[in-house]
Parts: sequence; structure tokens; C-alpha cells
Amino acid sequence: MSTTTGVGAPIRRKEDDRLLRGRGRFVGDVALPGMRELAFVRSPVAHARIRAIEVPPDHAGAVFTGADLAGDGVRAIRAASGLPGFKVSEQPALAIDKVRFVGEPVAVCVADTRAEAEDIAAAVFVDYDELPVNVDMLEAVKPGAPRVHEHWPDNVILETRTGGDLSAVAATAAVRVSRTIRTARQCMVPLEGKGVVAHRDRQAEQLVLTTSTQIPHIVRAGLAECLGLDQGAIRIVPPDIGGGFGWKGLLQPEEVVAAWLALRLDTPVRWTEDRREHLVAAANAREHHYEITAYADARGRLLGIEADALVDAGAYSVYPFTACLEAAQIGSILPGPYDFPHYRCRTVSVATNKPPLVPFRGVARTGVCFAMEQMIDAVAAAVGREALEVRLENLVRPEQMPFDNVTGKHFDSGDYPESVRRAAAAIGVEGVRERRARGEPDGRLVGVGFATYCEQAAHGTAVYHGWGIPMVPGHEQAHARITPDGGLELRVGVQSHGQSMETTFAQVAHEVLGIPVDRIKLVHGDTALTPYSTGTWGSRSMVMAGGAVATACRRLAERVRRIGGHLLQVPAGDTTLADGCVRAGAASVTVREVAHTWYRAPQRLPADVDPGGLEVTAGYKPGSDHGTFSYATHAAVVAVDPELGSVEILDYVVVEDAGTMVNPMVVDGQIYGGVAQGIGTALYERMPYDAEGQPLASTFMDYLIPGFTEVPHVRILHMHTPSPYTEFGVKGIGEGGAIAPPAALCNAINDALAPRGATVTDAPMTPEVILEALRRAGGPA
Amino acid sequence: MNQHARTISLTVNGHAVTAAVAPRTHLADFLREQRLLTGTHLGCEHGVCGACTILIDGEPARSCITYAVACDGRSVTTVEGLDADPLAAELRDAFSAEHGLQCGFCTPGMLVAARDVVQRLPDADDAAVRVAMSGNLCRCTGYVGIVNAIRRVLDARKPRPE
Repeated sequence: MSTTTGVGAPIRRKEDDRLLRGRGRFVGDVALPGMRELAFVRSPVAHARIRAIEVPPDHAGAVFTGADLAGDGVRAIRAASGLPGFKVSEQPALAIDKVRFVGEPVAVCVADTRAEAEDIAAAVFVDYDELPVNVDMLEAVKPGAPRVHEHWPDNVILETRTGGDLSAVAATAAVRVSRTIRTARQCMVPLEGKGVVAHRDRQAEQLVLTTSTQIPHIVRAGLAECLGLDQGAIRIVPPDIGGGFGWKGLLQPEEVVAAWLALRLDTPVRWTEDRREHLVAAANAREHHYEITAYADARGRLLGIEADALVDAGAYSVYPFTACLEAAQIGSILPGPYDFPHYRCRTVSVATNKPPLVPFRGVARTGVCFAMEQMIDAVAAAVGREALEVRLENLVRPEQMPFDNVTGKHFDSGDYPESVRRAAAAIGVEGVRERRARGEPDGRLVGVGFATYCEQAAHGTAVYHGWGIPMVPGHEQAHARITPDGGLELRVGVQSHGQSMETTFAQVAHEVLGIPVDRIKLVHGDTALTPYSTGTWGSRSMVMAGGAVATACRRLAERVRRIGGHLLQVPAGDTTLADGCVRAGAASVTVREVAHTWYRAPQRLPADVDPGGLEVTAGYKPGSDHGTFSYATHAAVVAVDPELGSVEILDYVVVEDAGTMVNPMVVDGQIYGGVAQGIGTALYERMPYDAEGQPLASTFMDYLIPGFTEVPHVRILHMHTPSPYTEFGVKGIGEGGAIAPPAALCNAINDALAPRGATVTDAPMTPEVILEALRRAGGPA
Repeated sequence: MNQHARTISLTVNGHAVTAAVAPRTHLADFLREQRLLTGTHLGCEHGVCGACTILIDGEPARSCITYAVACDGRSVTTVEGLDADPLAAELRDAFSAEHGLQCGFCTPGMLVAARDVVQRLPDADDAAVRVAMSGNLCRCTGYVGIVNAIRRVLDARKPRPE
């Protein structure tokens, strides 16, 4: 690449200094004059009719209920999918008549401090008439199950069918293997909880929400619908955001309540989610159940995949992603990176009395990869070959690229088998095999496992329309403006929540304009200052907003060369722009001088200068509407203690292809972090529920996320196949790390357990799960 | 402030402070809401995640499970109080060089804990660093950058062979 700070340079982050000095500005740090604090009364039961809400007389005026919102005309949150047959739920921001999950907000309490607001919440008495509960999606779809929404005939939100009939394949295939596979319900657990400060800005005549969101422009749209306001009457200003991973990618009922209260009370209000609220009311991710069958020939070449997939979508449809994004994704991406001819998949999104399902980093891919990669290993075992060989046998080959798979996904580029070969070499498969044959002195069982995936990112218009999402992304826009002193301001509507955009977008702009990275300032998210955007989700920001920044900067470059050429008395076509200078032969003029000319000395401009000056808003879409396909192979070596059921990760390798990396240090950081979350999914994280729908974990002592000693020093190897369709050849990479760890670790654990004849199929693979598998196979030791 | 407020005197980042505080108020809330020192972050308020780690009389402590009234007469140092601390400056530089932070929310607690580890365990290998740091949780980095940052500072402080 052209410079030491442009695209491809692992430069340090512009964000770091304030965060390292404790001078970040997170939502909990925002205080406004007269600001009051909110605490929510939340349902302690999973399903009940609300008979009465009693407020002690001394707290009259400090407690508000769903009836108060409805009385002011506040509408319920409504997120309808465009897919035919979708049943739409209505979610009042504060429950009216009925509660449908533990943690659902029922009333809001206002006080000068959070502690006092919680005191009031504890004094509010709610009379619940408890109803039968749906805790398990497999039970909830049976006839006669209690209905989450009484006016629906059943709890099926949507059923989808993809593909055709596999009976001919089933009749002739040499090999048929079937598995029941399940992933648990998880919490996303950004270290900073959700939070919002709402106030009325009298000068701007706007309702202003300082809220920790990934999708500010979408929150504004949803809020306007609920409150019946013009979108122009609302401003969303995201502060520094302490991680999101999907949890901050929806319009939250608490945001609606805070916004309404700020107007109703005409005073600033703040709500910050505490950890207990998060674990109880936001256990909202990942819960899938698969009945899956693979057909193959005697070599293990896949002939077809059949699956019935159920997704526990919880009690409501979230805005904007709906209650069926996850299931719709499963239908279209279950085939993974493999080339096989026959496919059938039925998905069912099921309503239960649990928090509404929200897309978590990787969305359905983590579950899909977990299911599909187990099937590759199962086919290999059935045909008596190494899983590695069967994986190579079935992956799409580089000479097939670009490749349209069995569900019509357009894989853009890459060498999937090479990622497997490099991972196998790096993890040292032969050495693991020898070690396994020797046995461990401590009696532990060693195994190696692989998982390969490709990740569609920066989804295009048709993809999102096809999934029925009522927020279809089109062109992404960026605004770029050269300042009068030759610096650069960038404005984008996506919102960083830890991804380092202040740095990486500056690198993109620097690559095009040559303006130093430290003179480039990013404004992101604020709806009053930035172009509309659907926000930061789906590993889209670098491809889409980065592409828009590059496009805007290229247009600026033309204008700079036009003015610079005039100052140098040569045609613009005879100039180049590099390192912050317009050059023609030995003569040059700096961008700073060009800027000075436009803003301060226009008498020196050419008569036909572009009156748009030195600021541009440009829109961008990649050359393919299918988005980008990054991919990776993960390889893990584990030691399983057959007496304790514990798993130690001895080695973990990621071989991935992000195309062109804007900042390789940041890409590695995304992978390390994603893998750690994937290890949580694989081995630790599960929100348990009792038969009444009570969540049984409410602190970090009983909901376990991986710490320093649970996550190994992951080794990352890169491949570099630029996307043919994007600026610089970048591919979306933000979610990838979290996709494959459950699959790779499951295959490694099963490799370790193979001598005992035991198999695990469900995540998380806790000691109980592993010991139970060993018991079923004939007991430990 | 309720009627049971007690008056405490303590040192916060080198400054003498006298304040009225409710007995139930934890130190982190006191620092954040009354002293406006918002660099101390609350990630769980159960004493598990370590984001709120500060120094009390020079020792790392969880400010979310320490009552402010229990700090009468003590000296409290938050991340803001480490601006001029030479070891904290080394750690800040190393965290940035090694990408030891992403969203930055856990970072103040990480820095306070890491500073303690570097002081107490100058010969720690990576495994020992991980054990020593295991009272702090991060959801973004996968810990690799943080371990590398602490490694970088430990190595830089080792006496060079003649």
C-alpha cells in the first residue's frame, strides 16, 4: 500500500488515549442539570395476566405504567417481517394486561438517584394471575401448548421451507448420518450495559437521546413510530459505547419509556442497565435446535443435507430485525462453504416465554456452523476417513470462484481448502495424532478438531429484502469535508462500539487524499450530523461506510486537483495527488493551500470551479449485492478429563481471509475477541431456566463468560484474497471469530472422546454434558 | 441525600475530600456521582468483573463492593489519578501498541490491575500474568492484546544483561 498509515498499516488507534485515561464518555457518564434516574419494575414471572398495579400513596407521581404511555398515545413496538405468514407481535414498552417473560418492564419509577428509584420499584405491588408457561420450544410447538399471544392459533411465528425433495438421494446414498444438535440460550454481555439519557432540547425543538446504540438512525425511526413524532423532532446522539455485539442493535422498550418520560416530565432522565437486568431480561441469543441428516457417497462426498431447524425466538419481535431473521438465515446459509447438489431445510421460529431473540455476533452462523461441521465429522467417521480429508473433499474449490451455491449464495473469492491445509499444518495434526496414540500421563484424552465457514457480510439490498427485514440497506453514504486549514472531517451514520472506526476510516481517507491520519476527524452516528445509515451490524461498516468514505474522498480529490492544477497553471489531468500535495512535474501545491484558496482566497479560484467546494456526500454499494464472503478455518487441540468432564484448550489456530485488511492489528483484535466469545458459547455460556421460566443465573458467578485463564493465546494466520467487488478488496470480518469455535471445539472434544465411543452434540459442552456422554457410552475410565 | 448520611474525610487522587454519603452508597457510585470521576466503570456491581478496580491505600480493590463510608481516612486512587504515574504511562503506551483495548470500558480496571501485577510479579511469565489478571473480565479483546501489553512492560523493566 501507498503509505505507512493508509490502508494495510497496523497503526495505533486514535481512540486509545481518552479511553486509557478514563476520559471516555459513556452513557453512564452523561449527567444533565436536573436529571432524574429511572428504575424499572420488571415481571418476576414468565407468563401472567396483570390484575392490578398498586403504587404506595407516598410514591404517587413517581411511578408510571403502560396505561400512562397508552393514555399519551404511545404505540407498542411492532416489527413485522415481510415474509408471508409471519405473525406480528405487539410489544408495549411497559406491559399492558399481560407479561410474557421474566424481566419484562411493567412500570417505571423516577427519583433523584438510582438507589431511590429502586426503593420505589421495590414498593410497587403488582398482582399477577399466573398462566401456564412455554419454556422449551420443542414443547411450545405441540398442539395444546399455552399460547404466548392469545390471539394467535399457535406459537409458530413463521415456518419457512428451502430447497426440494431428497427422497431420491436418500434412497441411493451409500451413507446417511443423522444428528440432533442444540445450542443454548445466551446473553451477549457487553461489559457496559445498555443505557439512555433522554432530554428535551428547547433550542433545537428536539427530543434528544444520548443512547448506547449501534443503530442510531434506526432507533430514531422506531422511536418516531412509537411516539408519533416526526423523525426531525428526534435526535439520537450515541456516546462512547462499551461493546454491543448485537445487544445494542435494536429499539429497546426502555428507550421508548425514557424518551416519553423526558417529554412528559419535561426533565432529563437516565436509565442504565445493571448486570442483573442484563442477565435476566436480556438472555436473548443463539438458541437453536437442529434435526439434521447428511447423505454422502462411500468416500464421504456430500450428496445432500436435510434439516429441520427450530429457533426459540422468545416473546416478541425485535425492532428492526424481527423474530425470524435468525431462522431465515439458517435456511439460506446452513450449507456453509460446501459444494453439494441437494438441500432441504425447514425452519420454525417459535414464540416462548423468554426474552425476545436478538441477533448476536455471527447471528445464525454460529449455530449453523456448529451443526454443519459436526455433520462433516460424522460423515467422515461413517466412511472411515479423516475429517480433514472429507472437509477438503467437499469444500468449494478456488477454481470454482466466484461460485453460486445450492441456495444461490454468490461466494466472491478465496481458497477455502487452502485455509484447511494451512490450519492443519499450523496445529500440527500429525503431532497431535502421535500424542493421542501415546496417551497422556494424567489420563486425559487429547483430540483435534476443525471447523470451516464462510461469512456473508455487508449484506446487500436483495439479501435483506429476501429475509423480510423491514429495514433494507441501500447505498451507504459518507460526507467528507476538507477544513479551511487542510484537515479533513468525515461523517458517517454507522456507529462504532469498539471497532476502531475513528482510526480505520481515517486510514481509508488518508489512502485516497494523503491527508495525515491525525488531521482526520470522524463524526459517527449522531443523527443530526451524519447521513442516514442502517447502522453497525452484519460486519458491514468497513465495506459499506468505508467504501462510502473512499468514494467521497475520491470526488474530493478531483476537486482538489482541479483547484491545485489551476494554482499550478496546468490542467487538472496533468496533476497527481499524493502525500497531501497536488503535483505537476517538479511543481506542487499543498492540500492546505488548496483549502485556503477555496475558503479564504476565492479570488484565486478558476472561474468554472465546482461550486460544491471541498465537501462531498457520496453514496456507495459494492459491485455485488450479495455482499462479501470472508472465510476461515479454525483448528483446536483439547485435552478432556474423563473423570471431571473438564476441557482444556491446548492450542487454537485461526486461518482466515479478510481480503484486504485496512488495519491488520484491528482485524486481529476482532478475531481474538470473537474467538473468546465463541469459546464462551462452546464451553461455558448458558442461561438455564426452570420449569416456570425462571432464569437461574443472575450474576457473573453463575453466568460464566471466559476470562484470562479460559481463553488460550490464539494464533492467527492470514490469507489475502481481495474481494473483486469492494473498495480496496476489503471483506467484512467483525463477526467471524465468534462463528467457528463451538464447532471446532466440539469436533476436537469428539475426537478426544472417540476411543470411549462418546459423542457430544449440544453447546455449551460443560463438564455435565461431557460426563453424561461418557456415561451413555459406557461410563468413565 | 437521605437523613442517615454520614460525613467522611478521605483523599481522592491526592486531594483531601470531605463529603456526606449514605451508608449504602458504594465507593464507585460515590466517585462517579458525587466526585464526577467517571473513569471508574461499573460492569457488574457483584465484585466479579473488575472494571471498577481502584486503589485504596495503594492496594487494588473493587469499588463496587466497598462502601464509601468504609473509606473514611483512606487514600483512594482512580484511573484519573494515574495520569502522571510513570508505570501507568508505560502501560498505557503498551496497551495502545498491543491493541489491548477495543471499546475501552473494562480498560481502567485492567490498567489498575495490570499496574499491580507488574509491581508484584516482575518475573511473571504469560501464564502467571493470566492467573494474576483473572479477576478482570473483558468481552472485546480475547485477552491476547492485554497479556502482550503487560508482557511488553515486564520485559522493558527487566535489567538488561551487561
